[in-house]
Amino acid sequence: MAYGGDMGRPRGFDEDEAVRAAVTLFGRQSFAGTSVDDLVSHLGVHRGSLYKTFGSKRGLYLAALRQHVDRDVTAAAEVFAAATDVDEAVRRITDAGPDLGLLLLALVERAPVDPEVAAETTRALARLRDARGELDRALGLLLRTRATGSAPEFVGE
Amino acid sequence: MAHVRIEGGELIVEIEGLNKVWALKSRITVPLSNVRGATVDPGIVREPKGLRSPGTHMPGVIVAGTFHSDGERIFWDVRDAGKAIVIQLDDEEYARLVLEVDDPHAAVDLIERAL
Repeated sequence: MAYGGDMGRPRGFDEDEAVRAAVTLFGRQSFAGTSVDDLVSHLGVHRGSLYKTFGSKRGLYLAALRQHVDRDVTAAAEVFAAATDVDEAVRRITDAGPDLGLLLLALVERAPVDPEVAAETTRALARLRDARGELDRALGLLLRTRATGSAPEFVGE
Repeated sequence: MAHVRIEGGELIVEIEGLNKVWALKSRITVPLSNVRGATVDPGIVREPKGLRSPGTHMPGVIVAGTFHSDGERIFWDVRDAGKAIVIQLDDEEYARLVLEVDDPHAAVDLIERAL
């Protein structure tokens, strides 16, 4: 397939799909723990296209975080609003998603050092808090769930 | 080895040492508005670099000069792959610069914070 010159040359990949794969990868491995090699092999995107489209690894990370807040955090907020209590909401999210790994890692890894990341995590937390109070308890449960792989059974509370 | 600094709204890259001879360019200046971002990327050295002109390429030793790949011009100055960073540009002679710097994380932070 030949595309003429530079004009209207397609990027050759689905940007939304690539960003979605980046959400999963950054949410599992963190920003620092994800190399451009990792991104190139998991996103199905050539290095040159990655740089041309997102400018940098950080540019892709910010795109991933925005998509994560708009899609996953919004979906989680709906679960929060519908559940009878925070514990049930966290159990449902653990069992059926959405995966909030990127938000949890961004809060500790990048938000303290990157104002644009902090703006996105603030937006995410506001969205969850608007859905239901007890945000700190929900975050604590989500963190412990990530650590142990299953929803804590009311340990110590 | 390259030194990067930011001065008066511009990114200034100075090529140091012998690479200056091979890269045939000792200084590149780009307005920050044309800088898209910077990334630590030690793996890029293992990728195909395209056709060289002019400059030098001794595989595994040193990559310096202008390379053409997928219709893009890319400036390379890397000897130690572990210290490679990539600076993506817009509307410039080069689509991106691949540089070896002393402290890759510090250089990338400096550039990303300035954007």
